[in-house]
Amino acid sequence: MGGGTAVEWLAPSSLEEALALRAERGGDTTVVAGGSFLAILMNQGFVAPTSLLSLGKVQELRGIDVVDGELRLGAMVSHRAVERDPVIRRDWPVLSRAFGLVASPRVRNQATVGGVLADADYASDPPAVLCAVNARAVLRSPRGVRQVAIDELILGFYETCIAEDELLTEVRVPAALGPAVYRKFRSRSSEDRPCVAVAAARSAGRLRVVVGACAEVPQHYPDVCAEGADGPIDDAVAREIGAVYAKRMAPLSDSRGSAEYRRRVVAVEVRRAVEMVGADGAGNGAGREGAGGEE
Amino acid sequence: MGIDPRVAGAQRYSVDLERPGMLHAAFVRSPHPHARVLAVDASGVPSDCVTLLPDDVQDLHLYGCQVRDEPVLTPLARHAGDIVAAVAAPTAEAAKAAARLLDVRYEELPAVFDPVQAVSPGTPLIHPDGALSAGEAVSIGVRPLAGTNVCHRFRLVHGDLTAGFGEADVVVQQAFRTPGAAHAPMEPHAAVAEWEDGRLTIWTGTQTPFNLRGDLAVAFGLEEERVRIIAIPMGGSFGAKTFVRHEAPLAALARKAGRPVKVVLDRTEEFVTLNRHPSVIRVRLGAKRDGTLVAKELDCWVDTGAYADCGPGVATKLGYAGVGPYRIPHVRVDALAIYTNLPPNGAFRGYGAMQSIWASERTMDVLAERLEMSPLELRRKNLLRDGDVFATGEVMHDVQFERCLQAAADAVDYERDPRGKGLCVLLKGMQTPSRAAISVERAGVGYVIRSAACEMGQGVRRSLQLMGAQMLGCEPGQIDVPEPDTDTSPFDTRTTSSRSTHMMGRALEVAVRDLRASGGERGYGEVHNEGGLDPDTGQGVASTHWHQGAAAAHVTVDEETGKLTIEHLHGVAYAGRVVNREGAELQNEGSMIMGLGTALFEAIEFADGQVTNANLSDYNLPAIGDLPKRFTHELIEREGAEVHGLGETVLPPVPAAIGNALFSLGLELHELPMSAERVLAAVDARDARAAAADSAPEARVPVAVDGQGLSG
Ligand SMILES: Cc1cc2nc3c(=O)[nH]c(=O)nc-3n(C[C@H](O)[C@H](O)[C@H](O)COP(=O)(O)OP(=O)(O)OC[C@H]3O[C@@H](n4cnc5c(N)ncnc54)[C@H](O)[C@@H]3O)c2cc1C
Repeated sequence: MGGGTAVEWLAPSSLEEALALRAERGGDTTVVAGGSFLAILMNQGFVAPTSLLSLGKVQELRGIDVVDGELRLGAMVSHRAVERDPVIRRDWPVLSRAFGLVASPRVRNQATVGGVLADADYASDPPAVLCAVNARAVLRSPRGVRQVAIDELILGFYETCIAEDELLTEVRVPAALGPAVYRKFRSRSSEDRPCVAVAAARSAGRLRVVVGACAEVPQHYPDVCAEGADGPIDDAVAREIGAVYAKRMAPLSDSRGSAEYRRRVVAVEVRRAVEMVGADGAGNGAGREGAGGEE
Repeated sequence: MGIDPRVAGAQRYSVDLERPGMLHAAFVRSPHPHARVLAVDASGVPSDCVTLLPDDVQDLHLYGCQVRDEPVLTPLARHAGDIVAAVAAPTAEAAKAAARLLDVRYEELPAVFDPVQAVSPGTPLIHPDGALSAGEAVSIGVRPLAGTNVCHRFRLVHGDLTAGFGEADVVVQQAFRTPGAAHAPMEPHAAVAEWEDGRLTIWTGTQTPFNLRGDLAVAFGLEEERVRIIAIPMGGSFGAKTFVRHEAPLAALARKAGRPVKVVLDRTEEFVTLNRHPSVIRVRLGAKRDGTLVAKELDCWVDTGAYADCGPGVATKLGYAGVGPYRIPHVRVDALAIYTNLPPNGAFRGYGAMQSIWASERTMDVLAERLEMSPLELRRKNLLRDGDVFATGEVMHDVQFERCLQAAADAVDYERDPRGKGLCVLLKGMQTPSRAAISVERAGVGYVIRSAACEMGQGVRRSLQLMGAQMLGCEPGQIDVPEPDTDTSPFDTRTTSSRSTHMMGRALEVAVRDLRASGGERGYGEVHNEGGLDPDTGQGVASTHWHQGAAAAHVTVDEETGKLTIEHLHGVAYAGRVVNREGAELQNEGSMIMGLGTALFEAIEFADGQVTNANLSDYNLPAIGDLPKRFTHELIEREGAEVHGLGETVLPPVPAAIGNALFSLGLELHELPMSAERVLAAVDARDARAAAADSAPEARVPVAVDGQGLSG
């Protein structure tokens, strides 16, 4: 860690104070939420912050609320809380499911909704699913508030549009109107990050399919999904969507799989995800249990 | 009694050590896989730090457990991560920071990372001066090949190979590969070194206190008695904490500092400290039409990395274990332990057996398919039985291979339906020759048993308490088992190769008899196992008792993604007689889980000699969710049998059992791990073969393909 010198630990207890410190200190201090990502970087010597701004005591960031049918998750809500919250399990089961597939309970107790979006790791689970359900991130600074879609938030490898004086304070998820699934394909251990992540959601006649963990940022092709507008989606259409996703994408290679392998798996997993959400009509029904994963 | 101190957090490990006035060390490691150190500039290091530079170790000697090829600080970095200097500071953080301020200039040299390539002509030599044979410290004669990167060649010759293949009706040949793997014990390497009046004491988590003492005495030019090793219980080891590791530079740093110095390696350093030997193994196997094996040839390229460590021993054991538990009249084995510019590879639970069993037992199924015979039947027909002569010339006793194999087959109902199922049966040796001694003293209440058997979670203390209680007629809790200390514990070869319960149990019987005969206060017992193999012929005594086991796997495959599901995995170990049932069952489970990691996804990845996954997020270990749907095992016993070691037995057969299960579905895997991607490639290859056969039905496509692009 920081060369034997003590690291400054800022622990504001209100959002206002946190925003003020963030605005005042900007890049001189590093925001820490659950610390599960940051601590690895620090242990490996990739970053050596001299000051940490912990959001751990900011109670306002821990809320799970439903306002006008919209789910509002505070940035400091843990993955475990999303996984287990009874309202989320009932009304947004695909989120419980996806957050519950992250790593292990040890990591899920620590990792936060804000942290996983702000670190913008290409191999995380939540971004693809949040993108598929049209979630927006709320970014706040003393200058004001703005809401951005997930694909506006995540710009590249570990890169977001969060400004130096901003905090990600909340994630908002619209009411779930139709079936949604998250399929996490792991090529190695059951606690590994995804090799290919596919989220598919259908609501009000619209199909959204987002592939994560295969490129710098989650990938989705609205024009391809237009196929699945109304009525049940048949197997041929699902297969076609899978094939086009696989063809259009330029997957990356890492130790979870080569680009060529990922392309194969994308075709299969997209098809399977579309089949799962496509079976029951135009997707106007209640959120179907977000089954999926390899099981 | 109450809660196990490990669970209650009361157990002290070497990471917890404290000595008065202690400093903390950090090592300076070469970033290059092969480079000469030109200059080290320590002028930027704060004045409250002590640095250990090349000049400080001029008086020290090369050491090594089997080949004396390791310097305390190296003037020539032979792998990325080789230790070139060290710093001691008041805190661990300050030491790490100071280590970064040491400025080392290097001249980079061409490097080699593949064992087959490392023995091809014209490759750079990693130990150009050749290396000395360590002689007395070794259990086998070491046979370096001068002017090459081969630090040891083991050969086994039994019968007449050419004649043997001449008799064969069917011959199959295939090459197999295994990658390096991390032991990944929870506790990293840690130690404290302290000098007093020219005497060195080291507290360290080690499986090999007496080898460590001997090797450090060599390095520092001391009498062995001037080195004292206190072996603290380990938070896991699996072979990682054997022989000299971090202790040598630490001791030199403490000597320079004139104060005790402690080091705790971080996880990244663990990946460049000691790993499992990557290997390439080519098997040629010949049989009669009726399935009688007639000839087997094994060529093994065993990558020992930058230093030999126990690589010669691993190549030897890998070599003869690859023969398998079969009667084969004509055998030739040629196993090379080869230097490369990767981090050193050493003892790893199974000691080379996994690598060659993977290759050999996979080949058995290839042969069975060619013979259109059941893999179970082919094995049964050829298994060694009591009184048979093994390829090393040893007459086999207490042979239980058939029972082990049958138990494994029955567990998965193999004979009813073998589809998706695979078997593996194995023979594995124990450290031979070896010596174990133990003492028993009467204490206020109960007894004190002293030995150098090291506790690393395998439960050797508990086994000694249980065996002692039975022999001495007291409660296990009345037996104190202090930690090994080379000043007070009787000599023991080392705590490796699943030998402690077997060897110490026998020594303890002698010690208890001695105690009874000499007045009941004190007793001493010692057992020797003589033997060893001739390195040029492989004849002699490989093992005074054999580890015998088997495994069966049942798998299903998602053929669109290559993702495999293990429906059932069953392991079988021959225990002879079980001393500590719970402990033995845990050994089986632990071995099988480690075997699963090896089979499915564990591999140290390198790019130009740099480990690219040196953390436990990128390097996957099996988690509880990775256990097979059914995960079962058993211990085979025999009335009146002696105690058999079983700490490793069911690791080596796991990859081959899974590989054979895939093979039963037409999926041919030749390289570990059997990742989803490799399985999918095997699906494609099978489908391509089928398509080719459809278009030319008369031309039978051979299943086994010859050596996979081996240049050597
Ligand atoms: C062993 C292991 C396995 C894992 N496996 C998976 C997996 O399978 N799937 C998966 O999706 N993820 C996985 N992860 C990643 C894990 O989910 C992330 O580490 C975690 O989500 C980060 O959350 P955190 O709260 O701990 O963030 P932190 O580490 O505290 O912060 C992450 C980054 O975000 C910034 N930040 C945090 N909060 C805010 C905020 N509110 N506003 C602005 N910036 C902020 C920080 O400055 C930092 O740069 C794994 C992690 C580990 C350690």
